[in-house]
Amino acid sequence: MAFIRFNNFSFRYKGNDEYALENINLEIDENKFILLAGETGSGKTSLIRCMNGLIPQFYAGFYKGSVEIAGKNTIDTPISDLSTAIGIVFQNPENQLVAMNVEREIAFGMENLGIEPVEIKKRIREVVKITEIEEILDKAPFEISGGEKQRVAIASVLVLDPKIIILDEPTANLDPFFAKKILTMLKKIQETKKISIIISEHRMDLLVLLVDDIILIHNGKILAFDKKDIVINSEIFRNLNINKPKIYSLFRGLDKKNQVYDKIPISIEDALNVLKKYT
Amino acid sequence: MEAVNPLILIDEIEFSYPNNTFALRNISLKVNKGELISIMGQNGAGKTTLIRTLNGLIRPSTGSIYIKGEKIDSKSVAELSKIVGIIFQNPMHQLFSNTIEEELKFSMKNLDLSKEEIKQKIDVILNKFNLEKYRDRSPFNLSGGEAKKLAIASIICRDPEIIIFDEPTLGQDAKEIDFFLELIHNEIEKGKTIVMVTHNIEFTFENIPRIILMANGKIIADGPTEKVLTNEFLVKKSSLILPQIQQFKQGLKEIGIKVPNEIFKLNDMIMFLNNYLKIKLSKE
Amino acid sequence: MSLEFLNAFKFLRKDTIIHRLDPRVKLIFAIVYTINALMFTEMIPLFLIFLSLIPFILLGKLVKQWIKSIRSLAFLFIFIIVINTLFITNNGFSFSIAMIIRISIMISAFSIFFLTVDPNDLALSLISMKIPYEFAFSFSLAFRFVPTIANEAQNIIDSQQSRGYEMQKKGIINQIKNLFPLLVPLIISSIKRAFNVAEALESRAFGSKKERTFYFSIHYTKTDWIFTFILCFILLGLIFIRFQIIIMPEWFKWSLPL
Repeated sequence: MAFIRFNNFSFRYKGNDEYALENINLEIDENKFILLAGETGSGKTSLIRCMNGLIPQFYAGFYKGSVEIAGKNTIDTPISDLSTAIGIVFQNPENQLVAMNVEREIAFGMENLGIEPVEIKKRIREVVKITEIEEILDKAPFEISGGEKQRVAIASVLVLDPKIIILDEPTANLDPFFAKKILTMLKKIQETKKISIIISEHRMDLLVLLVDDIILIHNGKILAFDKKDIVINSEIFRNLNINKPKIYSLFRGLDKKNQVYDKIPISIEDALNVLKKYT
Repeated sequence: MEAVNPLILIDEIEFSYPNNTFALRNISLKVNKGELISIMGQNGAGKTTLIRTLNGLIRPSTGSIYIKGEKIDSKSVAELSKIVGIIFQNPMHQLFSNTIEEELKFSMKNLDLSKEEIKQKIDVILNKFNLEKYRDRSPFNLSGGEAKKLAIASIICRDPEIIIFDEPTLGQDAKEIDFFLELIHNEIEKGKTIVMVTHNIEFTFENIPRIILMANGKIIADGPTEKVLTNEFLVKKSSLILPQIQQFKQGLKEIGIKVPNEIFKLNDMIMFLNNYLKIKLSKE
Repeated sequence: MSLEFLNAFKFLRKDTIIHRLDPRVKLIFAIVYTINALMFTEMIPLFLIFLSLIPFILLGKLVKQWIKSIRSLAFLFIFIIVINTLFITNNGFSFSIAMIIRISIMISAFSIFFLTVDPNDLALSLISMKIPYEFAFSFSLAFRFVPTIANEAQNIIDSQQSRGYEMQKKGIINQIKNLFPLLVPLIISSIKRAFNVAEALESRAFGSKKERTFYFSIHYTKTDWIFTFILCFILLGLIFIRFQIIIMPEWFKWSLPL
């Protein structure tokens, strides 16, 4: 059974005439690395909010259909309950760090769930190693850099042992080098713990190489959800006004008779493999 | 053609914040009228501090800055912002009026323009930015992308000679970035000078001719984009990565396809590959 | 003057015996010294109480901050001296000196409290006094966001100045109107921030029905008890002296002939 299941779900924010999400039917399993892509205003953030019950419990509005997380309905299951299954890292790490130092930050979620201090200590140690934040455990939020804040936010969610972690534009304020580091770290976590990670991003060049599947969203509707190769080679992807991987644009721009590939290359490696035959 | 006096001249300035971290160390640079420049570098390298010195928000502790040949240390921020317009990252840090029209009126308040002139400028600007339909709406009802447009509009309607952007492509999709690109080309054509602080390597590589790289408060490189961003040492030092096309070029070299040096932009590469494959395929 | 004054209340992380004390002891300290200061109007006892603060300041290595806070009150003190000397006929000047010392004691006591108590522990100490977790948490959350909001305010000022907004305006009404371009964005962004924080809190099981555990906790140690006893002793001693005012030596009640 799918871990997250949207059943014909629609949602309109209170005070808005237009639907932010329309007739969403989606089944997301564990153990997948997924890219969520769409133009600005397409509904990415709204979709993410549905996945732990923030919509419709925290955000007032009108909804149709249902969303289930591990069989539990997001309409009447408390968000605190759903948070043990789904972890969300929001766009601005500044507004997610609520404690005065990093160690307390990571402990926070577990304290809320009534987990015993001994277990808390154990989990902190584990997660700190994975996210490489041993050095800043006693620092305050204003003493650490943007990249470190992001890692702390990820750690504080990871420590609750969710089956799916969702990140909303995690690399926005990061230097390209550190952005790559964080995405690589997330891929490693996804593979080691066999959880699913869904990342919503505008800048695709790095991410598209790491993901298994891609969800395309436009005007609140799901246009596609399939394996990476299938989505990238589709007309839908081509016509969407999102930032495309550079290599993709390169090969798409070739004259028809020069398009010497079955599947359009997206990584430099793929591209070189295609062209090797023509040296 | 003889080089005219630079529009902006920064002469060995230094600045450190009260908590004693050196934000700018011995910075010198020249910018000529009509240039289009990206400032890149690691977070904390001093990029945003540097641009703030240009309109007086930050005053360097040593050294001097000259704009249009005049020293700026005695000029107020209000005066300088008539010549140097900075558009900061977060549009929400500006919006406070009841309507978009009022927001723009506020921007032009200290420019000594007549009511008719202001009205005219507002009409032109709303049209240019496709915001006419929101003229009487509250700025808080705008989407993120439109708010960003409004922030840019509210500086451009002041007609500054130097326009500075802080992370203009952050969080923007393809069509918004296209609009931004068109906008800066328009302004350059009108004779403006544009500087942007950005993390967007691909955008800079494709569109911006000159780049200034900063690290630890110093300028570590200042020159043509195609030379600086293809230099692995510099790229590493500023926590950047090589542009995709550049990495591809290197890979092509390794498999025996040599690409001429002057080809580094996407369209040029497409043309090159088209020609290359046309030849190769016709041989088969 | 005004913003520098606030620095006297900002927590600084140091490793001193005072810093290591349980926050409840330090709260008792602040309250005890406030009561001490309010009990007397005579110069000498107040001065002695003031002197007794000095060991605490030295033990906590807070001399620099403390001097800054007292110095920033200079204007207030001069104002008090002038008003009291002119308008109070019965030894006005002495009275004003006594008042100044009294204010200094109270400000110093609370300054020491805020300088040495980690806001995290503050919330914990409130909880241990049976204040509901939500209130204690809101309190520490406010502390946590002070630097963030200060930073945001600066960014807003920069953004508006870049549009030609001028900070200095003439006339009271203009000055108030002039605050709108700064206050409105600040308030709106703070509300947005509150929403984002609430969202993040919900997503980390805040408000879960389960009974909350505490990873960090504060405990009273032997040192804490010793300090508590010292403070109680000082308090009781001074109460005793206050009520036995008849047996107070003459020099206790001495004041300047002004």
